[in-house]
This record gives sequence, C-alpha cells and structure tokens, in this order.
Amino acid sequence: MHIIALTILRYESTLKIQGYRLWTIKSLCPREEREKSKVPGFKYEVCIGLTSARAAEILARDGPNALTPPKSTPEIIKFLKQMVGGFSILLWVGALLCWIAFGIQVAQGVASAFDNLYLGVVLALVVILTGIFAYYQEAKSTNIMASFSKMIPQQALVIRDGEKREVSAEQLVVGDMVEIKGGDRIPADIRLIFAQGCKVDNSSLTGESEPQSRSCDFTHENPLETKNIAFYSTTCLEGTATGMVINTGDQTIIGRIASLASGVGNEKTPIAIEIEHFVHIVAGVAVSIGVLFFIIAVSMKYKVLDSIIFLIGIIVANVPEGLLATVTVSLSLTAKRMAKKNCLVKNLEAVETLGSTSIICSDKTGTLTQNRMTVAHLWFDDQIYSADTSEEQTTQSFDQSSQSWAALSKVVTLCNRAEFKPGQENVPIMKRVVVGDASETALLKFAEVILGDVMGIRKRNRKLAEIPFNSTNKFQLSIHETEDPNDKRFLMVMKGAPERILERCSTIMINGEEQPLDRERAEAFQTAYMELGGLGERVLGFCHLYLPEDEFPDTYPFDTDSMNFPTSNLCFVGLLSMIDPPRSTVPDAVSKCRSAGIKVIMVTGDHPITAKAIAKSVGIISANSETVEDIAKRLNVPVEQVNKEDARAAVINGMELKDMTTEQLDEILINHSEIVFARTSPQQKLIIVEGCQRQDAVVAVTGDGVNDSPALKKADIGIAMGIAGSDAAKNAADMILLDDNFASIVTGVEEGRLIFDNLKKTIAYTLTKNIAELCPFLIYIIASVPLPIGTITILFIDLGTDIIPSVALAYEKAESDIMNRRPRHKKKDRLVNEQLAVYSYLQIGIIQSIGAFLAYFTVYAEQGWLPNTLLGLRVNWEDDYYNDIEDSYGQEWTRYQRTYLQWTGYTAFFVSITIQQVADLIIRKTRRNSIFQQGLLRNKVIWVGIVSQIAIALILSYGLGSVTALNFTPLRVQYWFVAMPYAILIWVYDEIRKLFIRQYPGSWWDKNMYY
Amino acid sequence: ASSSLGCSSGPSGSGRRGPENKDEERAQHSEDEQEKRKEKMGKKTLADVIQEMKTFLWNSEKREFMGRTAQSWGLILLFYLILYMFLAGMFSFCMYGLLLTLSPYTPTYRDRVSPPGVMIRPYLHGFTIAFNVSEPSTWTPYVNSMHHFLQAYDDNIQEEKNIECPAGQYFVQDGAESEERKACQFKRSQLQNCSGIGDPTFGYSTGQPCILLKMNRIVGYRAGYGTPVSVNCAIQKGNESALKSVDFYPGNGTFDLMYYPYYGKLTHVNYTSPLVALHFTDVKKNDFVPIQCRLNGEGIVNDVANDRFLGRITFTLSIRM
Repeated sequence: MHIIALTILRYESTLKIQGYRLWTIKSLCPREEREKSKVPGFKYEVCIGLTSARAAEILARDGPNALTPPKSTPEIIKFLKQMVGGFSILLWVGALLCWIAFGIQVAQGVASAFDNLYLGVVLALVVILTGIFAYYQEAKSTNIMASFSKMIPQQALVIRDGEKREVSAEQLVVGDMVEIKGGDRIPADIRLIFAQGCKVDNSSLTGESEPQSRSCDFTHENPLETKNIAFYSTTCLEGTATGMVINTGDQTIIGRIASLASGVGNEKTPIAIEIEHFVHIVAGVAVSIGVLFFIIAVSMKYKVLDSIIFLIGIIVANVPEGLLATVTVSLSLTAKRMAKKNCLVKNLEAVETLGSTSIICSDKTGTLTQNRMTVAHLWFDDQIYSADTSEEQTTQSFDQSSQSWAALSKVVTLCNRAEFKPGQENVPIMKRVVVGDASETALLKFAEVILGDVMGIRKRNRKLAEIPFNSTNKFQLSIHETEDPNDKRFLMVMKGAPERILERCSTIMINGEEQPLDRERAEAFQTAYMELGGLGERVLGFCHLYLPEDEFPDTYPFDTDSMNFPTSNLCFVGLLSMIDPPRSTVPDAVSKCRSAGIKVIMVTGDHPITAKAIAKSVGIISANSETVEDIAKRLNVPVEQVNKEDARAAVINGMELKDMTTEQLDEILINHSEIVFARTSPQQKLIIVEGCQRQDAVVAVTGDGVNDSPALKKADIGIAMGIAGSDAAKNAADMILLDDNFASIVTGVEEGRLIFDNLKKTIAYTLTKNIAELCPFLIYIIASVPLPIGTITILFIDLGTDIIPSVALAYEKAESDIMNRRPRHKKKDRLVNEQLAVYSYLQIGIIQSIGAFLAYFTVYAEQGWLPNTLLGLRVNWEDDYYNDIEDSYGQEWTRYQRTYLQWTGYTAFFVSITIQQVADLIIRKTRRNSIFQQGLLRNKVIWVGIVSQIAIALILSYGLGSVTALNFTPLRVQYWFVAMPYAILIWVYDEIRKLFIRQYPGSWWDKNMYY
Repeated sequence: ASSSLGCSSGPSGSGRRGPENKDEERAQHSEDEQEKRKEKMGKKTLADVIQEMKTFLWNSEKREFMGRTAQSWGLILLFYLILYMFLAGMFSFCMYGLLLTLSPYTPTYRDRVSPPGVMIRPYLHGFTIAFNVSEPSTWTPYVNSMHHFLQAYDDNIQEEKNIECPAGQYFVQDGAESEERKACQFKRSQLQNCSGIGDPTFGYSTGQPCILLKMNRIVGYRAGYGTPVSVNCAIQKGNESALKSVDFYPGNGTFDLMYYPYYGKLTHVNYTSPLVALHFTDVKKNDFVPIQCRLNGEGIVNDVANDRFLGRITFTLSIRM
C-alpha cells in the first residue's frame, strides 16, 4: 500500500482526444477505501484499493477492460455482396429472362422450352459459384489476419480487498490499484501514485523511440505529455510503479485512437475502381447491344419471345463470366508471391495498390533504420573514423594501430554495464540479446566485434567501484584493476555527455601520448563534436585516469557516495557517436523508388537533425539537394529571403506543421520533391496523408505504432510492420511487412505494377473472344442463318477453355523495366482504356469472328448447305414440323438431323475460337515488345494454359460429344485447322502493330493502337 | 463551363511519353483543377452531366465530335476501312477456296443426312389430320395440299420428262459427274385409289383418307441395299383395333429400287421421289388415332429416340362423321 499523491489534473479541455475521462484520485478513492497511513510521520490517508464487490459493480457498469473489436460485416452480407457485385446482376437478369421465356414457352407447349429453364439454372449456378469462389478467396485472406490478432490473456497485479492478487487484465476496473514492474505491459491507463525508476516505452502510442521516465509528478496539462500517467498496452521497461486505473477498455487512449482509426472510412482500392470501370464498360456494351438488337429483332417482325431469347444470348456472349474469378486468382497468386517476399497482403486488392503508389510516407525507426543503436563514428587522435554500421558487421576496418585506440577501447569495454545474456556463444554478435540500454548495448557489441570476449576482458580488469549514469551527473564512472600484473595502478574510466567529460579533463591523448588540453585541442574537439552532432548522432565522450599507485594502494576503499577519488584533471581519450543506422538495403530501395517515380516522404517522431541525417544517408534527401535552411546558410542570408522553389528538399518540424494551413502544406508537398517531417504527432501524420491524397496521389503509409493506425487506415495502402508492429497497426493496415524492411515495399511495388500490366493483358485476352461470341447472334438475327454457336457453348469457352490461359498471363514477366517508369495516373492510366477495348473488340475480335465463321460455313457447306442457302433459312431450319427441308444438293433433312448439324457447327465455331484464342494468348504476352523479344517459352504456365485449352476442347468434342445436353459433337479432324490462317493472321498483325509502336513512338499509330 | 472531357475518352497520352506533350499535360492539369473545383462544390448536377455529354458530342472549342477532330475521325475511319476491306478480301478468298474444294454435284459428306427421314403429305404444318367428313371445308385444305403435291406426278408430265425404267433394280447411271441424269417415271396413276384421279377428294369425303409417305432424298443413297424398302403402319399406343385396315399403293407399300440412287438436284433435274400411299380404309372414327408408319429395310434406322422422323413418322388421324 502506498501513499496517495493528490495531484489533480485540472485542464481537461486541453485534451486532444475527446471524451477521455480524467478521474481525480480523490473521487476514485472514496473515504471508505482509505485508511490512516501506518508510516510514521505521514498524516495522509492511504488507499487500500477496491473491494471485490465494488469492483464487480464497476465492471458491470463499464464492461471489461478490453478493446471492442472493430465492427465486422456479417458473413452473410459479405456473401450476398459477392452475389450481386460485378456482372452478377447482368447474369441474374439473363437467368430471369430465361425463366420468363421458359414460362411462356411451357404455356405455349413448345417442345424445346426446357432448354431455357436449364440455361437459366446454369446462369444462376455460374453467378452463385463465382460468388462462392470470390467469397472463399476473401475469407481465406481474412483468416491469415485472424492469427495475428490473437492476443495472449494478460495478467495484472491488483490490490483488492486490501490484498495483492493476480487477476486477468480484462477484469480491471476504474479505481483499481495496480502494481507494475519492468517488463510488464501496462494493463490499463494508470495514474501513477508511486514510482521508482520507472521507464515506459511509449513508442507504439506516440512514436517516441526513447524510453520515457514516469513519476508521480503532474508535469503537463496534456495527459499524453504528463509524467504521471502510464498508458494501456505500452510496456514498462524498468523500475516499479503503483497506480490507480483511471480508464479501461475503449476509454483508454489506445481505445480512443483505435476508434479514431475505425472512424476513418475505407476508400475503394484503385484496382476496385478500375474493375468497376471495366465492368461498367462491358455491361454498357452488353446492355446497349442487347437493347439495340432487341429493338431490331422486334422491328424485323421476330416474336417478342424470340427477341428475349436473342437478348439472353447477347448478354451471355458479352459478359466475360469467368473474368472476375480470374482476376481474383491472379491477385491471390501475386499475393502469394509477395508473401514469399515478406509482404503479407490482407486485402487482395491491395496487391495492385502498391503498384500505383506515387507517394510513400515512411516511418523512420525500424523501417528505414535497423532500430538499434550502433557506433557510427569515432574521434581520437584528432581524426574522425567511420565505423561499419551494416547489419552483419563482423570486423571493423578503421585504423586500430594507434595507442589512443587501445586506451579508448579499454574505456569503452570497461565503462559499460551492459552484458550479453549467457548461452549465446554461437549467435552472431549483432544478433545476441543484451541486458542494458541502447547506447551501452551498441558499445558492448562494438567492442565485442573488435576486441572479442568483452566479458573476459572485464573479468581480467576487475571492477572495484562504479557510479551509474544519472541525469544530474550525466556521466558514468567505474574503477578497475588493470590486467597487467606489473601495473599496480587502478584505472578509472568515465564516459558521458562530451562537454561534461571535457570539463573534467586537463589532458588529451594524441597517438597514445597525453598532451595538455589547450585551446587549440579544445576547439578541435568542439569541431568534431559539432560535426558528429550534426550528423544526427548521439555522441559520447570517454576519458580515463590511471590513479597513482602511491595515493591509491591495493586496499584503498573506494566509496562512490563520498567520491574519495579524483574526478577532474582526467585524460580525454576520444568520442564515439552512435546512431540507429539505416538498413543497408534501404538506400538502394529508395533510389529504386525514385527511379520508379515514387516520392518517399519520411514522417517521424524523431528529432529533425537525426531525421535529416538518416534521410540523407538513405537518399530520401539526395546528396546534392538543399533545404531552404541549407541555402540560407550557404548564401549567408536570412531564411525568409531564400526562394523556396530553389530548395528541393524540406525538413518540416511538427511545430511548424501545426501552424500551417492546408494550402501551405499543399504548397510544400508540391514544391519539394524530398520531404522529411520530424517530430510529428499521430494526428499530423493523418494530416500529411490527407495532404498527399489531395494531390491525387496514391499514398502508401508505413507504420508500426498504435499512433500510426489512423494514418494507416486513411492511406490508400497501409503497411504495418510484422515484427515491431502493434496489433492495432496490423489491424488498420492492408499489408504487413514480415521483415519490417523498407526494401520489401519496393518488391511489392514491382509486383503491383506487374499485376496491373498483366491484368490488362488478361482482360484484353478475355474481351477479344466476346466479339467472336457476340457476332454469331447478330448475324443470326440479321441474316437469319442457323445459329452458329449456342449459349451453353459460350459458357464452356468463358468458364472452360479460357480460364487457365487467362490466369497464366498473371505469370508473365515484365516487358521492360517497370521500375523505371512513373506510377500510373489514377485517372488517366486506366486498366481498360479506349485503345484496349477497341483493339480487342474491333480488330482482333473481328478477325476471330471471321475465322470462326469460316469454320462454320465450311462445316455446313461440306454437309450440303452452301452459304447462299443458309441465308434466310432460320425460320424453316428451326421449324420442328418441317422434316424434309432441301439443302443445296436437293437432299432432305429432318429436324433432328439439322439440329445435330447445328451442334457440329457450334463445335466447329467453338474449336475455331479456341484455336484463335491460342494465338490471342500468345500475342497478349506483350503489349509493346515482340513476342520473340519476350521469349516464347519463358513463361511455362502459358503453355500449360494452351495445352489445357486444347485438352478441354478435345474432351468436350470427342469425350462429351455424345451428351446431347452439352450440344457438342465429335468433330472431323480437319475442322480444327480451318481457323488456323486467322490465328496466324492475329499473330502477324499484332507483331506488325507492336513493331510500328516501337518504331514510331508518339505517332498516330502509337496513340491509337497501344493499350 | 468549358471543356471537361472525360479522361478515359480520346487518345490521351498514357503518361509514359516524353516531354513533347507537355502542353497536353498542362491542359489536362487545368481540366483536373476544374474537375476538382466541381468536386468541391459537391456532386455533379444533372445539368452538368448534360453539358458534359453535349461537349462530348460536339466540342466547339476544339472542334471535336465525340472526342475526335474531323481529321482524327477521318484517319481512324480510313484505317478501319482498309483493315476491314483486307479482312473481307481474305474472307472472300478463303470462302472461294472452300467452294473450289466442293463438288457442285455431290456433297462432301452425307453422314448427317442419312439414314433417311420420312415425311407425309398432306402437310399443313402439323401431324394431326383432323376433319369432319360432313364439313368439306375441314378437309379441302388437305385435298388441295395433296393435289398440289401430286402435280409433278401427273402421268403426262412424267411420261414427257422421265423414262420408264426396269423395275426391281437400281437405276445406276455412270458417267461424268456433270452429265445430266435421267429420272424414272413415277406416275400418279400408280397410286391407284389414292391417285386423286378416280376420287379427287382422296377418300376424305368418305372418311377413308389417303396419306402419302415420302422417304427423304439423299444423294447417292441406295435404299434397302438391294431389297426394296417397305412401309408398315400401326397404332402407336393404345387399342390396336382402332386401325383395322390400311391399303398400300403401289406394290404393297414398297419403294422400288429403280428410283435410287439420287444424283442431286443439279444433274437429276426431273427426279421425283417415289411415294407410298397409305389408304386408311377402316379407322376408328370420332377419336384421335395415333398412327406410326415405319420404313423397313436394310440400312434403315427407325428407332432412334432423339429423331422421331428418322425412318418413321407419327401422325394422328381424327375423322369425325
């Protein structure tokens, strides 16, 4: 039980997060829960915590201490959405028309009425099956996420009924007294009433990477800033504390942010918009052609019922039934491929979003950097040395021959409290787990790499006394025996803030010699210190002193409280500077982004200098670009006088951002290509994202903390870190980087762009044959020839032979370096543009139709029906009673003989489309390059597609040719080759098209023929 | 409001082009801004949409019709004209090639048309022959149909155009394919009571109707493979006694071999299909009597479920007195 500090938070209105309750300790700890302090001399009362009964009461009132999961759409709604989305409506209309036709025909007693019933059922089945498929795909990717959000039940140490007990954190209520210690996760928002050396990691909440100390002092009006509140889901790094729960569950800061995130609307992904656009085009074409020909048919004196049946045929022919499923499969294939490269995609459509990304707002810590302090520079002998900061360092290559280095290394090794956890001898040094803070860890690992066996060295130089670092002294000191048995002197080593260390020194070591620290030397120190500080690095000074043997004999009792040893006139040894270094893959990735036309903006909570340094080292600010401040400094003029457009780079502080209007922010985003936002808050991150989106950019945001979740949600694609990321961030994100590595984003961009290109190809491939399916109906209506291809047969193309080939196009390699072009413009570079539709429909589609009609005419002519006989034949042909129609040779045909011939015609037409689709598939491999440049055999899956296509056609014709319901017949072998010249024509024509596009870029041909 | 052409229409640059279309970009930019301003003002009103449609149809500033200038339309139409003319030429060439491979006398394949189907006359778009003996208007259409059909079989026409052939054997005429073939006489009078000569009403006026049965023609088909194909009729389903007697003409209801093979309508111009007349002398009256007549002979198929006219025919007689 602890003493209550009755500090009252008065300024509730300053709180950014609306509705955050600030209980006073007084109100939370009613009289009956207090008792007189037993501590002598204290006249305050102490809080004995809640009684179980009272806790249960409050629990019943407030609910459990857990975040309400975001509202999810009921499964049945999701399922139904799949049933009516895309082309489904059109197909439902088709099915409905079929059943209406069936009803009428049954009433009229037409023998073939049931065909329409079956067709309607088939159409409905198609919709339902593709719906189930899409639903299943979506559910599968959601399931990946479910595993992420599983949280381990947390325990909390709470004082109830006057005694400590462990309860599940969910049971905590407002007013509960809880105790926390280093390593614990804070179980609720807690107002501290007792703290001892308590430090918390608020990085997931505020983005500050430094541990924050906590005490009972009320230091700020803003609950986020004040030191006496610890927040739910942050971690206590060290020390202990006791506090009173002031908010639980959704009322906590985290809960507020989470609800802020869920309040941010989910906009449609770019690919969803593109697919919708495409669906509109196709549906528009289908409906307008359907209605047009319905009118034509009616005015040509066809019966209305017949016209309805034509309408069904036209709809079925126009709608690429299998395409949406194909797109889903292609996207999920890419998602799988990306998951292999450590990009886990939650939402399938986000696969492509990354490809159209034009701005990446990247977090610094952990994403761009390694998220661990590493020694970057050393200064000794009046010279700055750089250290290797890569992830896998095994040696350091700077000059280690100097005696000064020997001295410095000794100080670094000995004046250090960090230790490796035991049992890691076989683990690479950089990966070993260390007990100690970030700087000391960095120094320990640095020493271990160079000297090896630091622990051994420390053992040989026994530590006699130690003063740990504290914020008043700003230094750390220890006294050691030396490992040289002949040297009986003690070695005192000290490290700390460089200026403080220098103050205590009178000499400086140069090339192993102690030299007086004169003004010149001190200035050299200043220059080096400023330079390293200017790199955004954390600089530490090191000094030592060999205590004279006579004054400090073997048995000298060192006392750290009275400091009975000299702490001035020491010998300065050197400086070491540390930084959280960029990941080695990042600079390359950033330059790739740049050449891909993607603007990389750094948004960090860190200090501007550090942020700028990292930005420079990874290339976010390129070597030769300057900020307004840099120009001002170079020209030696005030900042206001600098022409802002001269500066390519900009470093914006969170404080500046706070005072900016939207217009000013827009101006910055437009005028500067290299931008760093430092010291930004979660709300500001959201503002930045919105600013980018106002520029019509597709914005990707990376983040790991809870504070990032609103921005992640707001972004077109939110990318959460898999290792460092909080659950809230992962929930809000569309994609998760499993290795927290920025370079993985570049891979994602590449895959995203590739899938966009390949979807274009898939759609072009699929749309082409729609014309070959549609023309038969149009000719049938206009010229009254026997029907060249049946509705069921069309479905066998759309959902049979064409499926695997169109998926195979997703495996196509990029034609050129897709990372060397700009991201596509959201509104101009459409997935399906005019050129694509026109080229597929009016050129290749027409060639295909002609090829297929040739096969149709061939089949009929060789059986005795010459083309001229066919014209206008339809009414007699379809007359069930007319069983002796004469053909061109005077032979007489029964109705069934004609029907069977008609099915043979269907099969020939079907086979011809299939054969030409093989050519279509091959030409669609590239949009610009020659097939021979692309490599005919490089994409093996295409060949799997071609084989499958032909195999399915063979099975349908010869295997299922006897099943009358399917309307296929075994086809004579030669009919398979009738459309061959047209297949070749398609290939040759497309090669010519591509040749001209390559030869005359920007020409009329290029503009009209490149899709 | 000036142009705010839909971005998807027109051959707008696809963003990968160099600096040569900077102007275009700038223009596009101002358009974007306009769009943005519109978006800010809220959703597009109907008037806006109509205005947009109007500008799309005819943009007087740029002199564009549906997003293309006259020159652009000219070029694109010329391109399609050339392309389609080429395709039409290629298609015509292919069709010409196809027709070259075809014989004008004999179809390449005859597997879909054989074995032969069967039809009857009178044929008035249906297979129910229903009439009332006492009301001539109910049966005159049938009689007319018969007369019309049998015109070509008039004895004098047959004698004039066709030759008499030896019965009981195929009338094979070898020689060049293009040579004109002779046809064998099938005189109407051979149908005796059903010829319509003695009784111009073909028995309809007495409730003993005649029905003519015709085997479908197939080029080169030798019906029966040496044995003449014969016809028999029976009640399809139901009481056998409803059909007491049927007379067949000529020759007990057989198709004589001499009428085969058929050489196609180009060379076998005067060919008349042989007929078998069925004289239903005693059929149950005032009832629907379903009758099925089948061909019988070698090579004839008359029991395929799908095709109810292959080697057989079913019709219903309904004679009211």
